[in-house]
Amino acid sequence: MTAPFFKYGMFGDETSLVIAFAIGIGFGFFLERAGFGSARKLVSQFYLNDLAVFKVMFTAIVTAMLGVTYLSWIGILDLSLVYLTPTYVLPQLAGGLILGFGFVVGGYCPGTSVAAFATGKVDGLLYLLGILAGTFAFAELYPLVARFHTATSLGDTTIPQYFNLPYGLVVFAVVVVAVSGFWAAGLVERAFGAKGVEERSHP
Amino acid sequence: METRSDTLERWPSAGEESAVAAKAAAPYMNPYLAGVGLGLVLLAAFVIMGRGLGASGGFNAIVAFLMNEVAPEHAKTREWLAGYFVGDASPLKEWLFFEIVGVFTGALISGLLARRVHVEVEKGPRVSVGVRLAMAFGGGVLMAIGAALARGCTSGQALTGGALLNLGSWGAMLMIFAGAYALAYFVRWEWR
Amino acid sequence: MRKWMSALTLNQKLALLALTLGLVAIGARPMRGSVVTIDARDLARIVATEVDHVGVEELADWIVAGRSDYRLVDLRGAAAFASYHIPTAENVPLAALPDYPFGRREKIVLYSDGGIHSAQAWFLLQAKGYRGVYILRGGLDEWKDTVLFPRLAENPSPADRAANEKRTYMSRHFGGRPLTGGAIQAEAMPVEMPKVEMPAASPAAQLAKKKRKEGC
Repeated sequence: MTAPFFKYGMFGDETSLVIAFAIGIGFGFFLERAGFGSARKLVSQFYLNDLAVFKVMFTAIVTAMLGVTYLSWIGILDLSLVYLTPTYVLPQLAGGLILGFGFVVGGYCPGTSVAAFATGKVDGLLYLLGILAGTFAFAELYPLVARFHTATSLGDTTIPQYFNLPYGLVVFAVVVVAVSGFWAAGLVERAFGAKGVEERSHP
Repeated sequence: METRSDTLERWPSAGEESAVAAKAAAPYMNPYLAGVGLGLVLLAAFVIMGRGLGASGGFNAIVAFLMNEVAPEHAKTREWLAGYFVGDASPLKEWLFFEIVGVFTGALISGLLARRVHVEVEKGPRVSVGVRLAMAFGGGVLMAIGAALARGCTSGQALTGGALLNLGSWGAMLMIFAGAYALAYFVRWEWR
Repeated sequence: MRKWMSALTLNQKLALLALTLGLVAIGARPMRGSVVTIDARDLARIVATEVDHVGVEELADWIVAGRSDYRLVDLRGAAAFASYHIPTAENVPLAALPDYPFGRREKIVLYSDGGIHSAQAWFLLQAKGYRGVYILRGGLDEWKDTVLFPRLAENPSPADRAANEKRTYMSRHFGGRPLTGGAIQAEAMPVEMPKVEMPAASPAAQLAKKKRKEGC
């Protein structure tokens, strides 16, 4: 087992920051490539005109998920050393809902707003400022929500663990759901895609 | 067939020049290919660092840094930001902050290559620039609160947690889509 | 076959690839690092050289000097840890040890009451590939006898006197007291409740907090 390299002490904190920058470049590059520096393209997802958000997100999830599964299966990647955000049922459900609101109201999410700002979108910049303001507000008001914020913890849990299913089976299920979703997305776009975003994309 | 002026309003006001510029912009990449690219970047993060991507954490670092500059004593009492004040290191020495700077850079590179870098405000035809900017700001505020509660945003929870089959992340991801679809009807005046 | 393949669009090829990989993945069993390989000879050699022991007085010096380059691990249960532990120690019961987030190159000093659990824990961590693991020679028992409640020589020679003074100083520093003469008292634990925090400014504290920052 030699990966994750950082957790095996192959390089230090300083180098990891350089790596963060490099990985960020890849991240931002593909976000913009997909058109996610544009609020209207992002929001088209929620008006069923252009489901690129779903396609990109789930393709990325499937790619990384398969990669992680295979690499750890052949013993190169130690999956227990990859950080898993602990599960807090209620705050995450509530937070997700509010995230969704913020997404469709503002037109971006944090990562894409940076990409938008980079390509000159003033609304992207305002969104970024909003994030800073919201974070500041949260930091100030934290004691009021701390109880809720740490409620209903399930610890580090994965879907296979929670539902007591074999890991590989869940992986396969996710792939099937994703590919079916892509096929369905094609149908939806043909039905609703006429109005809204200008056709700039792919076959 | 729709013309660009129906769906795109630029600010400063659109002129012929921007119409030409718009025509010159390259088409977006096949979303599945872009998704594979993104997935490989995420995989690289897992393999190299043992962590996934993120964004909202970087903003926490920025707020921690700014607070520390302006009011250090007060900053250190903020329990939510406590993790950024360990030792003497600047709050900006944070993996996610450097990653966000990278996102900016990578998006800029891609935008320049595709001739998609313009100063503009993206909005629907029925809403004014000022209102759109206000909504953008408000959306950011909502997103920050949601991300703080959910321990991540679409990058950290949906992408990273999704790939790792994290239970809470899939829940958060479903709720993100649910929330956005639910509210979309009520803000359609902003986009359509 | 080839004709059929080339008739597919790019998207369809990608979908086919994904489904194939997904199907094969059904049998996947991701490695979570709890299965290790041991080089027995290598380990035997390390044990024989005994370079991985730390004496209690040396540890006491480190603590007094405020060194932050080590992590002191108390392998006992939480109750024992709460009633007394060596300052700067963190409580990691043996069962939790394999998954505990240590840095691969960190200096980790293990102690338990005597030496058995620390030796077993040492073996566990060595097998997992940590190379900076040390055992506190004699464990907590030795700490009590030598640092907290040292027995001072009755009629000290000049050389002994210097040693006695140091021992007295150390003992007081950690809240114990030196025992003289034949008085061997079953003393209650020192009243001083050492702070339960991580080693100062340490990799440990930063790691614990960084873990919170590893999310999005």
